[in-house]
Amino acid sequence: MAAISQLDPAKLQLVQELEIEMMSDMYNRLVTACHRKCIPVKYHETELGKGESVCLDRCVAKYLDVHERIGKKLSNMSQGGDTEDLTKVSLPDKK
Amino acid sequence: MAATEMSEAEQIKTFKDFLVQYNKLSELCFTDCVHDFTSRSLKSSEEKCTLNCMEKYLRTNQRVSQRFHEFQMLANENMLALAQKSGNPS
Repeated sequence: MAAISQLDPAKLQLVQELEIEMMSDMYNRLVTACHRKCIPVKYHETELGKGESVCLDRCVAKYLDVHERIGKKLSNMSQGGDTEDLTKVSLPDKK
Repeated sequence: MAATEMSEAEQIKTFKDFLVQYNKLSELCFTDCVHDFTSRSLKSSEEKCTLNCMEKYLRTNQRVSQRFHEFQMLANENMLALAQKSGNPS
């Protein structure tokens, strides 16, 4: 966070907008991925079945876990030592 | 995001998101439900399937959104606690 707060407000807002956009893109991918994996193509019902619901819950948890791990590894690779900052950037506080 | 009323840019963004969602839903439910091209018109089973598909997708989205926000809040709390523990590292 330290490096970001030193930027001027205009750039800070740009970074924040980028973060929000990134989050919503990630969210959309998450929904698509978990829908693919948990909801069978037979649409006899509009309600989510119990198994489907549980699958979705686990899918979200796993997806976010993977997302975090990959983020950590990526930042490790891209800047060797100082990993803290990038991981913090990739977990923005959504308002 | 303190302002309760949406700015024009935000409204446009919301509308755009809606349209993107709409197109995505059409594509998904079409590919999942319509397989028969021996007729021009939608069969009643195909129509039922597409409408069910849509509703189910929205429910899926809703549930994923709930879980997502739960994780989001947890992550924020953890970050806050971490920041406080390490005594505001600047």
